Amino acid sequence: MASLRAGLGLVGGLGVLALAAPIVATDHAWVARSGPDGWSSPLLRGLVGTPAAVPAGLEEPILEAPIPYSPEELDLERVFEAPSAAHWLGTDGLGRDVASRVVHGGRASLAVGFLAALLALGVGLPLGAVAGYRGGWADAVISRGVEAVLCFPTLLLALAMLAMAPRWLAGLPDVARIAIVVGITGWIPIARYLRGEFLRIRGSDMVAAARASGAGHARLVIRHILPSSLAPVLVTAAFAVGAAILLEAALSFIGLGVRPPTPTWGGMLTEARVQVHRCWWLALFPGAALFLAVFGCNLLGEGIRDRLDPRSRAG
Amino acid sequence: MTPPGPWSAVISFLRTTVIGIAAALASGVACAPAPGPAIGDGAVRAGLYADPQTLSLLGKNDTNSEIIARLVTDSLVQYDARLELQPRLATAWETSPDGRTVTFHLRPGVRWHDGAPLTASDVVFSVEKARDPATDSKSYMSSFQNLVRIEALDPLTVAAEYATASADFLEGWALPIIPQHLAGLEPDLLSSDFARHPVGCGPFKFVRHDPGREIVLEANRDYWDGEPRIDAISFSIVPDERTAYQALLKGDLHVIGVPPDIWAEARASPEADRLARFVYYKLTVWYVAWNGNGLFADPGVRRAMVLALDRETFIENVLAGLGRPAVSTYHPDSMWANPEIVPLPYDPAEAGRLMDAAGFRDRDGDGVRERDGRPFAFTLLMPASPQEISSRMAAWLQQSVAQIGARMEIETLEWGAFQERRGAGQFDAVMSMLTFSPIPDQFELYHSSAAEGGFNFFGLSDPEVDRLLERGRESFDDRERLEIYGALQRRLFDLQPLGCLFHLATPVLHDPRLHGLEPSPIDYWRVTPGPRAWRWESVPAKP
Amino acid sequence: MGERPGEAMSRAGGEPARRVPSLPAAVARRIGTGAVTLLLVTWVVFALCLLVPGDAVSVEGGADALGRRLPPERVAELRALYHLDESLPRQYGLWLRDVARGNLGRSFYDRRPVVEKLSERLGITLTLNLLSLALAVVLAVPLGAAAAWRPGSHVDRVAGVVTYALYAVPVFWAGLLLQLAFAARLDWLPLFGLQSPGARHLGALHGLVDQAAHLVLPVVCLSYGGLAYLSRFVRATLVESLHGDAVRAARARGLPVRRVLFFHAFRQAAVPMLTLAGFLIPGLLGGSVIVETVFALPGLGTLFVDAVFQRDVPVIMGMTLLSAAATLAGIVVADLAYAVFDPRIRRG
Repeated sequence: MASLRAGLGLVGGLGVLALAAPIVATDHAWVARSGPDGWSSPLLRGLVGTPAAVPAGLEEPILEAPIPYSPEELDLERVFEAPSAAHWLGTDGLGRDVASRVVHGGRASLAVGFLAALLALGVGLPLGAVAGYRGGWADAVISRGVEAVLCFPTLLLALAMLAMAPRWLAGLPDVARIAIVVGITGWIPIARYLRGEFLRIRGSDMVAAARASGAGHARLVIRHILPSSLAPVLVTAAFAVGAAILLEAALSFIGLGVRPPTPTWGGMLTEARVQVHRCWWLALFPGAALFLAVFGCNLLGEGIRDRLDPRSRAG
Repeated sequence: MTPPGPWSAVISFLRTTVIGIAAALASGVACAPAPGPAIGDGAVRAGLYADPQTLSLLGKNDTNSEIIARLVTDSLVQYDARLELQPRLATAWETSPDGRTVTFHLRPGVRWHDGAPLTASDVVFSVEKARDPATDSKSYMSSFQNLVRIEALDPLTVAAEYATASADFLEGWALPIIPQHLAGLEPDLLSSDFARHPVGCGPFKFVRHDPGREIVLEANRDYWDGEPRIDAISFSIVPDERTAYQALLKGDLHVIGVPPDIWAEARASPEADRLARFVYYKLTVWYVAWNGNGLFADPGVRRAMVLALDRETFIENVLAGLGRPAVSTYHPDSMWANPEIVPLPYDPAEAGRLMDAAGFRDRDGDGVRERDGRPFAFTLLMPASPQEISSRMAAWLQQSVAQIGARMEIETLEWGAFQERRGAGQFDAVMSMLTFSPIPDQFELYHSSAAEGGFNFFGLSDPEVDRLLERGRESFDDRERLEIYGALQRRLFDLQPLGCLFHLATPVLHDPRLHGLEPSPIDYWRVTPGPRAWRWESVPAKP
Repeated sequence: MGERPGEAMSRAGGEPARRVPSLPAAVARRIGTGAVTLLLVTWVVFALCLLVPGDAVSVEGGADALGRRLPPERVAELRALYHLDESLPRQYGLWLRDVARGNLGRSFYDRRPVVEKLSERLGITLTLNLLSLALAVVLAVPLGAAAAWRPGSHVDRVAGVVTYALYAVPVFWAGLLLQLAFAARLDWLPLFGLQSPGARHLGALHGLVDQAAHLVLPVVCLSYGGLAYLSRFVRATLVESLHGDAVRAARARGLPVRRVLFFHAFRQAAVPMLTLAGFLIPGLLGGSVIVETVFALPGLGTLFVDAVFQRDVPVIMGMTLLSAAATLAGIVVADLAYAVFDPRIRRG
């Protein structure tokens, strides 16, 4: 139970922060006074994309975001500043606020993680399910396919996805492209695991009984198989998100991650490696965020398994 | 009551493992040789970020291969720190009246490392090998493109004839000379035995190469110009710059080039206090090239973009002072640079006026200028670089032009893909780094005919620029050429087809006991005298 | 993400047992399909290599050097050297023909034989990966066993938390921290590379110890991430068998703990662990690129990354062939071992 709560708390908290990033960390004030008795919200205008009704200089901020900097805002006078009252987590090599970049970095990192996990599940779940449930030649074909993909060098695929620019590929944002690469390679362990699970479920007494009482395939699947498989699917999903986030960090170390200027935790960590002595804050905060996210995902997976999967408890 | 459980099993497992690891550690520490050298060792350990592509001395032309080539063998002439070609293997040379034929007189008494004498046929062989596509030596292929005939008149005289005369012909003769009797044994130089065990006539002899790990050279005691004062040079291959810096601090390495961030860190860190340091400006420039069609057709707009950049502040705060604003694709310290041209100042007001004059105004108050309803928005294309400095530059550009009402997106592409897009002209603006050579002729960069086969990917087509480039190629008088190229730089500065941003400095950190390293636009390895003049502290300098 | 043991190939209880096909036939069939898979994979990789923009001639240098501009005719001559001007199927055919003769071609990058480049790095990569796998197994098995003995206990929770925390640290950061701590600050271990300078003059034993010292940090760096997966896998594998009837009976008979563990529980777990081994092979050959870069170890991982960026097609193909063949071999061996040793099939 503790794992589940801790995991949910960490992942949920980071997720909410990431979603709320444009509100929490932005240089548009939440509320500003424009003119003698007019109030407006530059933030809302910025979010919705309407042109400025009041020129920016004439507005006086009343309520600012807790982190009143945008992640791209340069300040060349305040480069590599340690954490201070003005910049809670310090500034980076261009004077950009680290807190804002960490918060916005969560969007890209978590987006890659979730998208990749979704993709991996989307491919791995049906394939694993069919292989496990149907067995026979479907299983054989899918297993051969798994082997083929295992033999494939993923780095080349990552490079190709990033370098080739056919129309449909180039239009996608980087996050989607990295998610595709990570997801395409991550579906195999999911498929294998789920295949095993479906095999076991198919052979279980419950299903045998239902089959004996004449239930058709559809009923079998919906009534009996899906609920039993929910637990392993959720568990794999949770672990997959964590693995995807780490993989994006590794790709950015090689130079194939989400490209600047979009901040990601992995990218920030890669940049911070060079000056870890002088500027410890550049590494500590994105690193902590990355760590908490991945750790949280693992705890979440573990917690779900404990809660929903009776086999892992004492017999 | 429950049995004690597997605790004991677990603990004994872990205990054995820990003891095993500790034993390995202890014996490793005890038996490993001390990493730093005693100074009597006389060897210099340098760090390279990658293996040289080839040790054949002539092929491939990547920087690391050229460093090895310069140490192991000699050339007819070589650049010194003032970018002048000094005679090395060639003592003198004459050009024919029509300028198309040059005759070199070689230095007598030079021997290869295996004892055989150097003769003119070795020179002829080297040039012919350099021109062979199989050697894949692009820069020498390109300098000898124009060569019609080369022959050895006698063992110490070489005559070469070109199709057309050129004042810059001498640069090509800085190619390394390789021994015909060893390198000519197999048809393909790059895959031959010679490429594994090169033999030259230079100040250092090749000892061995462990691919991916190190290259070791030792001093040539019989060198014709006096033996080097260091006993050996070993290059360790360390791909990661952070690791290389740690190694330098620890004493495992003696000299490395570092990126600006590590330079700044070394400045602030007490452990790095004892290190000696210097910077030099290579023959490179960071530029932004504008696509001549579309948004950037007006030279005023191109000028405005550069006026919006506060380069001094960027250099001081972000580059830790390791840069200079650039005005052209000529090295500011070379004799060819036009000293009268000063970098564009930081003047956003003037930039705004120029944009207004071009018809771009912000009519709807959203902070972005428009003309005929279309906003001034463009995408900057740049290659993904292992150096993080390029992405910082791009972010800085983005913010700077936003202040004058332009919206810029950044697109990073992997190098190969970037080149294809750039070559095909599919870009609004590109930012990259260019390496030029000491010769003043930049025909392939700016001439209108170079838009097809050359490097004029930004589509410059200006009759005056063309004329100046052509005249520069035909002239042989240094004073006249100075004028011509000075005028060329002035014209290019007015047109701004390339916004030349910075010359970045290359910082070097080294062991303070190593003396004689000389900063120059050619890096400190390939310049003459270079490593021949290095010495350790306890060895007295020659009078 | 543990796999349930014993399920991968078993029939559902209650269905009539089928006759397992004879071993030689199964081997032959698997080798046959494996060869087809290899061909398919190499063809796709080859096509991908050549469809990605840029080729070995154009990407050279990674920066523009004015002094190296060549007119298009000369560039075409250079391309022809590497057969890059010919059609895709023809180039693939040339490569296949070379492979059939046992020759993997010459690298575009430095013209050295691909076989040579692979073999000089294979030893390092294999040593690094096998050692880290061994270390991970040695640490994960007792951890998993302790966790499985009493699921939900303190030991179980702490083991889980610690291994998950370790997993969440990215490898390049762990490498840097290890280097800073052990090599820079404490000076216990070397910083990078495989040998200390001057190691050639050491005796054989000292040289070996020197190399071992150089491998300690990289091996630790490579193994800590797998602890979580492996220990949870062991735990999942053992939980059911430890609390199943056979083991309970053994414990009731008063057999010592160690015997129970080794003779009953682990034997049942051995087979699924074998299948796991089969799937770990791809990681063995190329998964260590980050550690290799940080610690300056010339291994296959960095070779592959560099080859991809340099569009060095022969090296990419050589590595793909090697890695794919090893992967397929590993899977086939694991599957066949399973077929031979699975108690359920024996019975049927």
